[in-house]
Amino acid sequence: MIETGRQYFSSQHLTDINIMSTVGFDDDDIKDIYALESAEQVMPGYMADLIISQDKTDSVVRVYSVPEKSDTNKIKLNEPVLVDGRMPQNEGECVIENYFLALSGYKLGDTVKFNSTVEGNATSDYVKHLEYKIVGIIDSPMYLTYARGNSTVGDGSITFYMMIPSDEFAYERYTNVYVRTKASVNGYSDFSDEYKDMVADEKEEFEGISDKCIDRFNKTVLADSKKELSDAKKEYADKKQETFDKMSDGASKLHKGEEEYNNQIADAQRKLDEAEAKLEEGKKKLEQGQKDYKDGIEEARNKLSDAQTQYSDGLKKYNDAKLEYDTKIREAENQLNSAQKEFDTQYQLFYFTTKPQAENKLALLKAGINLCDEIISRSQQRLDEIKHDGIIGEALSDEVISLESKLDEYSEKLSEYQLRYDEGTNQLAEGERQLNEAKAKLDAAVLELETQKTNGAVQLNDAKNQLDSAESQLETGKLEYETAMTTGLLDLQTAQAEITEGEKQLYDGKTDFENQKLLGLQKLKKSREQLEKGRYDAYIQLSEAEEKLNDAQEKLDKLDEAKWIVNDRDSNPGYSGLVDDANRVDSIARVFPIFFLLVAALVCLTTMTRMVEERRTEIGTLKALGYSNAAIASKYFIYSGTAALSGSIVGSVIGVFTLPYIIVQTYGIMYTLPATKLVVSWSSLLASSIIGVFCICIVSLAACYHDLKIAPAILMRPKAPKPGKRILLEHIRPIWKHMNFTSKVTARNLFRYKARFLMTVIGVAGCTALIVAAFGLRDSITDIADKQFKGVTSYDQVYALSESQSADKKAYLMSQIHADERIENAALGYIGWSKACSENHKEMIVGRTLIFANDDYKTMFKLRDRKSGEEYTLGNEGIIINERLGDVLRVRQGDSITLNLEDNNYICKITALTENYSGNFFYMTPEYYRELTGNDPKYGVVFTHISEEYKSEENEIANDWMKNEDIMTVSSTTEQVNAILDMLQSLNVIIFVMVFCAGLLAVVVLYNLTNINIAERVREIATIKVLGFYSLETANFIYRENIVLTAVGAFVGLFLGNMLSVFIVDAIQMDNVMFPKVITPLTYFLGFILTFLFSMFVNFIMYFKMNKISMVESLKSIE
Amino acid sequence: MMKNFVQFDNVYKRYKMGEVTITAADGVSFSIDEGEFAVVVGLSGAGKTTVLNILGGIDSCDEGRIMVGGKDISHLNKHDLASYRRYDIGFVFQFYNLIPNLTAKENVELATQICRESIDADTALDSVGLSERKNNFPSQLSGGEQQRVSIARALAKKPKLLLCDEPTGALDYNTGKNILRLLQNKCIDDGMTVVLITHNSAITPMANRVISMRSGKVVSNVVNDSPVPVDQIEW
Repeated sequence: MIETGRQYFSSQHLTDINIMSTVGFDDDDIKDIYALESAEQVMPGYMADLIISQDKTDSVVRVYSVPEKSDTNKIKLNEPVLVDGRMPQNEGECVIENYFLALSGYKLGDTVKFNSTVEGNATSDYVKHLEYKIVGIIDSPMYLTYARGNSTVGDGSITFYMMIPSDEFAYERYTNVYVRTKASVNGYSDFSDEYKDMVADEKEEFEGISDKCIDRFNKTVLADSKKELSDAKKEYADKKQETFDKMSDGASKLHKGEEEYNNQIADAQRKLDEAEAKLEEGKKKLEQGQKDYKDGIEEARNKLSDAQTQYSDGLKKYNDAKLEYDTKIREAENQLNSAQKEFDTQYQLFYFTTKPQAENKLALLKAGINLCDEIISRSQQRLDEIKHDGIIGEALSDEVISLESKLDEYSEKLSEYQLRYDEGTNQLAEGERQLNEAKAKLDAAVLELETQKTNGAVQLNDAKNQLDSAESQLETGKLEYETAMTTGLLDLQTAQAEITEGEKQLYDGKTDFENQKLLGLQKLKKSREQLEKGRYDAYIQLSEAEEKLNDAQEKLDKLDEAKWIVNDRDSNPGYSGLVDDANRVDSIARVFPIFFLLVAALVCLTTMTRMVEERRTEIGTLKALGYSNAAIASKYFIYSGTAALSGSIVGSVIGVFTLPYIIVQTYGIMYTLPATKLVVSWSSLLASSIIGVFCICIVSLAACYHDLKIAPAILMRPKAPKPGKRILLEHIRPIWKHMNFTSKVTARNLFRYKARFLMTVIGVAGCTALIVAAFGLRDSITDIADKQFKGVTSYDQVYALSESQSADKKAYLMSQIHADERIENAALGYIGWSKACSENHKEMIVGRTLIFANDDYKTMFKLRDRKSGEEYTLGNEGIIINERLGDVLRVRQGDSITLNLEDNNYICKITALTENYSGNFFYMTPEYYRELTGNDPKYGVVFTHISEEYKSEENEIANDWMKNEDIMTVSSTTEQVNAILDMLQSLNVIIFVMVFCAGLLAVVVLYNLTNINIAERVREIATIKVLGFYSLETANFIYRENIVLTAVGAFVGLFLGNMLSVFIVDAIQMDNVMFPKVITPLTYFLGFILTFLFSMFVNFIMYFKMNKISMVESLKSIE
Repeated sequence: MMKNFVQFDNVYKRYKMGEVTITAADGVSFSIDEGEFAVVVGLSGAGKTTVLNILGGIDSCDEGRIMVGGKDISHLNKHDLASYRRYDIGFVFQFYNLIPNLTAKENVELATQICRESIDADTALDSVGLSERKNNFPSQLSGGEQQRVSIARALAKKPKLLLCDEPTGALDYNTGKNILRLLQNKCIDDGMTVVLITHNSAITPMANRVISMRSGKVVSNVVNDSPVPVDQIEW
């Protein structure tokens, strides 16, 4: 591989030193350079980075001048290899590079068309034509890989290169000087350390004369430019002042207009407000009136109804009273009438009946009384007669007594009659009195009735009068109420109509006001916009002018601080990559032979041991026949030596033709090199063959030596199995007791042949280790993709913008991106190629500087310690670099490195080493970048993280954004992940080889050792067969040991595999890739299982061998 | 006691050595009763070992029929032959064939662990008088002792038939005698059928039956009704 590169370089005369200058070179400079001691060939040339547009995408093309011979170079340096077509001969022809031809879509005969400007400069400043016809296809030795480097124009990365004749360039001065130095002319190997050292010295020599040349340039060219610039500046300042004045005038006018407008609006507003307030008041009053009206009506109605009620009550009472009066009068009249009637009756009765009767009675009584008195008087007389006669005889006495009783009785009767008469008289008088009394009463009653009648009539009449007046009052009230209601309603309606009218007027006023207001506002806006536009245009013009001035100033400044950049081949990324890869192959090449040698030695040792064991009797016989030890040994020595030698030759041929081919194929994907030169490294072939043969011979001698010491008699007998011995395990009674019989036997057998035990374990362990290492390697690389793109960085797409866009425009674009709901997060940043070296590692290591405009990046770039996970924050005191870069540069946190930014070296302090697997990065804050370089970083990329739910639409999102004019390219991390997975594909070959070797190792070692084991124990096996062991049981007798040995070996192998894997990964690490040292459980599992499969395979073969052992043969005598 | 416990019917065995065919058993026919101590005697190459191998299921015959305990073993397959060896046959080898890596007891256990019915290893070793040396490895034992272990191993399987291939061949006179005594005692005391092969015809008087062979053929099959104890035999 290296040889291929070397021959390629030398045939194309790859230059050792390329010098570029910020101000170019003239012929004097070339002469000066040629005069230097170390310069052998010096070729001046031109170079320009131009832009072509294809499908809206701008690509940067690096245009070189076709190498030509000159006074200072007798041969063409960096001569391209013509792949197809021819070199340009006529004007307007070019040759284009091979690899990117397909990508760029051009083919032979097409025309390349440049954009007319490059970063504001006319393309015609660089080359004479805008269109070039492709006449040839080339490969330049300057580009080994597909990395095309960086440019200061466009998106910063060169898409492809092309060449045109040097007289097609419009430069006055050369841009590049290519030098072939003594270092390569004198024939130091291009990749050797001697070459590197020498070129480093030469580089200094070239840098040494730069001052002289630049000084010359300053004196001749610079002075005029400076004056022009200062004039332009003055003009610009005047114009700027004028513009500013105009703008401020316009602004003040606008301001005035705005004020006026505001005042008018306020006035109108106030009036409207007043009208509205009045209206409101009126409304309120109306409402109050309506309410009052309603209340009044209500009240009046209530009163009326009250009066009505009262009147009705009165009427009722009057009627009642009248009725009562009439009734009473009638009643009284009736009573009076009846009293009159009774009186009349009594009167009649008394006067016509009672009185005459009573008077009759009284007259009777008087007659009675008188009769009585007469009787009495006659009786008295008689009595008195008798008494007076005094002689009263008895009949006379009786008469006296009867007369006396008669007298008494009549006196009594008299009194009674008298009494009764009196009483009657009295009664009659009484009756008469009573009648008179009744008559009086009756008269009084009649009188009273009359009075009452009169009174009642008067009262009733009064009441009637009252009622009538009340009724007339009520009627009047009712009439009044009706009238009042009608008038109130009328008033209210009038008021309502007034209000409505007022409202309508107010609304009209308002609408009018709004229209006026809007109109005014539009007018104002228009004038403001005009002003803004004027201002914007003015600013644009001014800033353009200023930019031009600044550019001019910058250019001049650059010219002022003109310097030379002297690069050796290391600055060619392809070249250093080739060296790295070659070294990596080298380191693999260093690891593997050792390992495979060990494997081979083990295989040989076991095989030779077996062979010697098998030929034991033969050795004994030969010895007995008198052959010397040396003679016998030489037989085996020569035998194995011949085998080894022929094996080496076959192996070498296969090795030379296949392995490098595979490896170069793998790397060939990445390099543009002519078909691989098959370089037969005779020395390494010889060395490996010699080592191989030597090892095998030594091993066979060692195997023989043991047997040759033994007396021929013993040798001629089959080797007696080693006598049994107690093993250590038996002394640990508890364990031994619990083991079953077969495991005891197995355990004892295992330790019976310690050497064999060791060899088996080593062999099996080696097998497992190889498998684990192979798959571990795969794990590590697979893990990169996972850890890098799912853990450390999580951005999904990267949008490249034009760096030259204004900050405002970028901010606007960012806001657009942020507004896309499919994009969860986006961070604006700067990414640029840089180089760094350190005290401990003087060679420049290429990495990328990453600067983020703000903290948006934090979710997408995890700056953290790999082991502890501690998060780091970027500070303004230094930079953060990735762990691998720290390893390569051999620096730690707190150390300083020399970082090359914008072609200047700066010392930076490392504040932290962050976890990262793929690529080298220098992270820093914009402030720190400014502090270092004095410039603001030119943000040109946007990292975006797509929301989980839109992950599947990645391509659509990319396409959508590609349509945005400000975005030049969109790249996806998926591509990077795929690149790593591709790498994995190429690794599969290596893994297959390793697993194959592992299997071979395990099978051969186990086969040999099991064979020896069986051969020695043929008698034992035959015996147990005779004892009645079935085939499988017999086989198990041996297998069990193999299985245990395999298990032990596999376990040891897992540990060894881990170590080996770490070792290999370390050895093949690249400068910019850190392989995580990860071994997944699956790998261990595979290592274990595959080893067992190999072991089982051997056991399977051995089964037949064991079956073949004849019991009869083995029972024969052992003489 | 079964008559014709072992019966060979016209058994042939031929070995091909390149182009030469050697007939090791040339129509062998004989029978042995159960409990007999049978000795097969003949010179080297007479075919006695072949007969023993075929009888022991180690080798197969080409023609003929072999009956052991009423079972035809002449046409058994490999696996059945192994079962036959395992359960029916005890084998005592000329060179003892002990597993060097196992102690005396373990050698016996090696046999007993594969049998259905077996005598305890210790008992077996006791019965051959090796109680003291159970835990010694073969290399630590004398030839006679090793042969006793071998016999113990054969007996421990409780075989129907004990086959002995020149058991005294590698032993000195007295040791050999001891071994023969042991075998005879086993036959007499335990009723074990023993078939012993020897080239030494001097020991034939101790057998119940003597089968003489020559050139792969049985030349005589004599029943000895009054076997002599081993101690009375001299050679």
